[in-house]
Amino acid sequence: MGERLGFDHVTKIFETPGSDTGFVAFDDITLEAASSEFLAIVGPSGCGKSTLLKMAAGLMPPTKGKILLDGKPIFDPPPGVVYLFQQYAKSLFAWRTVIDNVMFPLEGAPRHQRGDLREMCRDYLKQVGLDGFEDSYPWQLSGGMQQRVAIARALAADPQVLLLDEPFSAVDALTRMELQTLVLQLWERRKFTAILVTHDVEEAIFLADRVAVLGAKPTALKEIIEVGLPRPRDQLTTREDPRFLKLRHHLTSLLLARNSGHVAAV
Amino acid sequence: MSQRSDVYRTSLLGLLSPAIVLSIWETAGLLGWVNPILLPRPSQIVWTLVELVANGAVFPPLLYTVALFVVGYVIASILGVTIGVAMATSETLYGVLEPLVEILRPIPKSALVPVLFLFLGIGKATMITVVALAAVFPVLISTFQGVRGLDPVLLDTARTFQTSRMRTIVSIVLPASLPMILAGMRVALGLGLVLVILAEMLAGEDGVGFRILDLQRAFQIRDMFAWIFVLVALGGGLMMLFDLVERRLVPWRGKT
Repeated sequence: MGERLGFDHVTKIFETPGSDTGFVAFDDITLEAASSEFLAIVGPSGCGKSTLLKMAAGLMPPTKGKILLDGKPIFDPPPGVVYLFQQYAKSLFAWRTVIDNVMFPLEGAPRHQRGDLREMCRDYLKQVGLDGFEDSYPWQLSGGMQQRVAIARALAADPQVLLLDEPFSAVDALTRMELQTLVLQLWERRKFTAILVTHDVEEAIFLADRVAVLGAKPTALKEIIEVGLPRPRDQLTTREDPRFLKLRHHLTSLLLARNSGHVAAV
Repeated sequence: MSQRSDVYRTSLLGLLSPAIVLSIWETAGLLGWVNPILLPRPSQIVWTLVELVANGAVFPPLLYTVALFVVGYVIASILGVTIGVAMATSETLYGVLEPLVEILRPIPKSALVPVLFLFLGIGKATMITVVALAAVFPVLISTFQGVRGLDPVLLDTARTFQTSRMRTIVSIVLPASLPMILAGMRVALGLGLVLVILAEMLAGEDGVGFRILDLQRAFQIRDMFAWIFVLVALGGGLMMLFDLVERRLVPWRGKT
């Protein structure tokens, strides 16, 4: 079972030159992903979604409040919390073959286990549909395949929590759907906790159990919506489900309402 | 495939300009536009060069110079990469070393040759030090810039896998900065070669630089030019070798 990961009254203030107060990115956010839950966080571009996820990963400390992993505060990136970056190409190691990229999290293991672990990594590559590409280099693969390598590497780290930072926004629409389905399958099999940040409302509904909507600056939690669509989900039938469309309508109007002020100002 | 034939065409075109210069030079000699004693024709020089190679006389000085150069260059590369990484990853070391590096870096290293003779005497130690001093700064600076310019995503990736500091440096920072490190080493290659020749001319006991000056003083002009050709071949050969190594080490360059 995946571990719970939550934000406990988290406030993030960035110091800005010439300002005593600084820039308040988040104000008092409290939100928790339950064990093995798929939680999505949506917000318009530039609202600091990635910052939120970086704090959850222990890559960036909150100014106030705590990040809690199974109720215990974290300060550094904890084992079992794996981050899937939007910039997969930059996250992969160009000088390593695909299989050696996937092996990276396991290289601290004793030498005599390496053979077995390598077999395990081959299996992960098979699970993400990359068998036969073990000895290729990441830069020889397409964008979608590179993100698959990153996903296989995340699996190798035995994720209790998987943090997804708009991981599908840089690939084409068809590849995006394939990757979404892949992540869902892996999530159902491995039962890790997943937190996805995205600006894509449909993606959030399609994948998540709950969707948290971020509101106006300084960003605060606006609403949390239970998705409640049946699983396993399907790219065609789920997306045509009237409940899906209703949720999409609701979430989209929430996000648009936030932006309407800007539009009027223009 | 077409890319490869493009490469060949470019390198063939690249042979064109030296060929033109050599033809003009040859013609000038044949037509008596220049003093044949001061400037022998290329064909004559090449003939002397062939003799030098055939009787083996070229090899001892050439190997001597290459050995001095390689030792100095390797020392410079190791020092440059180590100090560069240290300065880029530790604020303390950066604070301590940056002023020193900035003071030493702009000094033309040739100006230090006479000083080094005072301290190290005339000999191999001086030559190696001169090469190392000339070559270390380009390597250091580009290593530093390479490491500082690494994408934060790469380092965040390492952190989320609980990679230790040492392992991050060895298995992520170094390979990721390799393209920049090699760019610095390429500049260092040229500089090091210039300095070893210069030092040999100023106070060498042997080597290509020593030969060139020695023959000039003995007024054996044609032999002197033959040795200059040796130098050209040496520089060209080292650069080609460098290209080869670079292509093997960073095949991903320009592709990520």
